[in-house]
Amino acid sequence: MQQIKDNITKAILSLIDHKFRSFLTILGIIFGTASVIAMISIGEGTKKQAIAKYQDLGVSNIIIRDKDMTDAELQTVRMKFSKGLSIEDAKVITDVVPGVVSVSPQSETKMEAKVGDRSAKASVIGVTPNIVSILNYRTAKGDFLTTDQYDRQLKVCVLGASIARELFSYDEPVGKSVKVDDQWFEVIGVMQPKALFTETVGELASRDLNNDIYIPLSTFNKRIPKVNPFTSEVKQLTVKLGNSEQLLPATAVVRSLLNRRHFNNDDFSIIVPYELMKQEEKETRIYNLLLLSIAAISLVVGGIGIMNIMLASVLERTQEIGIRRAVGGKKKHIMNQFVTEAVVLSVAGGIIGVLLGITLSLVISWTTEVQTTITLYSILMAFFFSVVVGITFGYLPAKQAANLRPIESIRHE
Amino acid sequence: MLIDIQNLVKDYQMDSLDVAALRGINLQVQKNEFVAIMGPSGSGKSTLMNILGCLDNPTSGVYRFNNTDVTGLNDDELSDIRNKHIGFIFQSFNLLKRMSALENVELPLMYAGIDKAKRMAMSKQALEKVGLADRMKHRPSELSGGQRQRVAIARALVNNPGMILADEPTGALDTTSSMEIMEVFKQLHSEGNTIIVITHEREIAACCKRIILIRDGLITSDTPNLN
Ligand SMILES: Nc1ncnc2c1ncn2[C@@H]1O[C@H](COP(=O)(O)OP(=O)(O)OP(=O)(O)O)[C@@H](O)[C@H]1O
Ligand SMILES: [Mg+2]
Repeated sequence: MQQIKDNITKAILSLIDHKFRSFLTILGIIFGTASVIAMISIGEGTKKQAIAKYQDLGVSNIIIRDKDMTDAELQTVRMKFSKGLSIEDAKVITDVVPGVVSVSPQSETKMEAKVGDRSAKASVIGVTPNIVSILNYRTAKGDFLTTDQYDRQLKVCVLGASIARELFSYDEPVGKSVKVDDQWFEVIGVMQPKALFTETVGELASRDLNNDIYIPLSTFNKRIPKVNPFTSEVKQLTVKLGNSEQLLPATAVVRSLLNRRHFNNDDFSIIVPYELMKQEEKETRIYNLLLLSIAAISLVVGGIGIMNIMLASVLERTQEIGIRRAVGGKKKHIMNQFVTEAVVLSVAGGIIGVLLGITLSLVISWTTEVQTTITLYSILMAFFFSVVVGITFGYLPAKQAANLRPIESIRHE
Repeated sequence: MLIDIQNLVKDYQMDSLDVAALRGINLQVQKNEFVAIMGPSGSGKSTLMNILGCLDNPTSGVYRFNNTDVTGLNDDELSDIRNKHIGFIFQSFNLLKRMSALENVELPLMYAGIDKAKRMAMSKQALEKVGLADRMKHRPSELSGGQRQRVAIARALVNNPGMILADEPTGALDTTSSMEIMEVFKQLHSEGNTIIVITHEREIAACCKRIILIRDGLITSDTPNLN
């Protein structure tokens, strides 16, 4: 124990004696460690971002969309008896498909919304009140639509965060009215801001959910005129299942059920966010592995740097080694001395590298679009590997120092 | 008997050339002798001393130290002998540049596994003995040649080895410093230590009790010094 403490003190003193050389030695380790942490942070951040997108859609949800069709196609489908997606479909799925917790049908249209002289383009979404539990919607002010309002087909609405700001600036929107197209709706709530949905997922075109205006589906169907008489009753069904294990069998049942009800017209598409998420995870894993191997290579190069300078140090201190051997130092003592130096160096390099890596990750996420997530495991792993690399590459020079013949090393000038 | 050497041979391989540095040395040294080894340059004095100090191996022959055959020992055992039973002093001092006098003297004790406090006490005592009580914190570069050699002597005797080997200890020193060093050796001899000194100087050899002459790798004369 005493011996180890002495060794470490000696190593630190000797390294401080050669500040600049020591610093150069660990530069490689510092950058290696830092890049491992930064790479993992980028990888984790990217993964988290990708996953968040699907989590917004619900990892135990199935989304069924009415296909976008030309007027002619739509007409053909109707002549082949399909009514398109309907509230009745939602009821049947709830009753028949095993594992279904609830189903929310919704209709959509783009319209101009006005308050005083302010106006904005909005996505008007007709929904059922149970959408709140299915998609985890939360209001920042006021409340979401209630079953009572739905049943009475009231002209009430809940605004997305951005559109509320656009129409009301800093005024309180709840209790005021919004003119949508040519009808007035009373604002009963404002949503919390949502993550931007910048990518198209399957048939789901990207849209800014913060520009949504939610109204009861019943009101929507009654008040909002249809663009085309053939347009389906609803645009989308969001099906919530008890858990993601039930997704595959439930999806199969939903597909065959709807095929039958739509007379095999293939006029809907099914999106399973969970499956898409799994696939993307797999893709990012390969990408992460690539990033990590680049970082690992830089760490090994850092280790070679240690070896290089340690070998030079052994050469320079040949006479010292000879003197130590002459007064009774054993091979293992010399070995310990140099390995300890390598360990102290690589631990120092590892610590500085960890700090640099964390800084780098933070700077990247502040200054670029890339999101980074610093994880404890990446810090521990990077530190551990930097120390392993340091010891591994410090071992060879130490061995060489220990194996010098005493009398020859004393004579060495 | 402390040292018993039979027919010791040392060859150096230089490229394809064989240099015979020692060509069959027979030598016995008892405990508490005070021996001078003399001879012309290149005669093999240092070669013999290095083998006596377990720093080098002979090509052939027998070397018994304290009745153990040293040639059969492994590296760790040889290190132990160097550490506990032999104090070696070089012409060029061979102190560690970056350490203070005290730390240099502590070195053998550190390898002997003695704890810090005891190490410090023993090293201070050794430095006091060679008259350097007031120079303990100095680095070698801050000491004179004679003082450096006295630090080296303190290092050689700190672990109470019983035998001190000195290869031209005064070779780099002026006459006054040389005589001071010899006074220290005389003192150590009177305390029961065995001392072997290589020298070119008659004044130094005159201090010893036995004088050995070497020429071309062989002992040519071995006489007691009676004055
Ligand atoms: N490492 C070596 N490799 C090859 N030859 C050597 C080596 N060391 C010594 N020799 C040779 O061995 C012979 C004896 O050398 P040694 O150093 O023992 O002489 P010395 O008596 O100590 O001389 P000096 O009085 O000059 O110190 C010399 O011829 C020398 O050249
Ligand atoms: Mg010599």
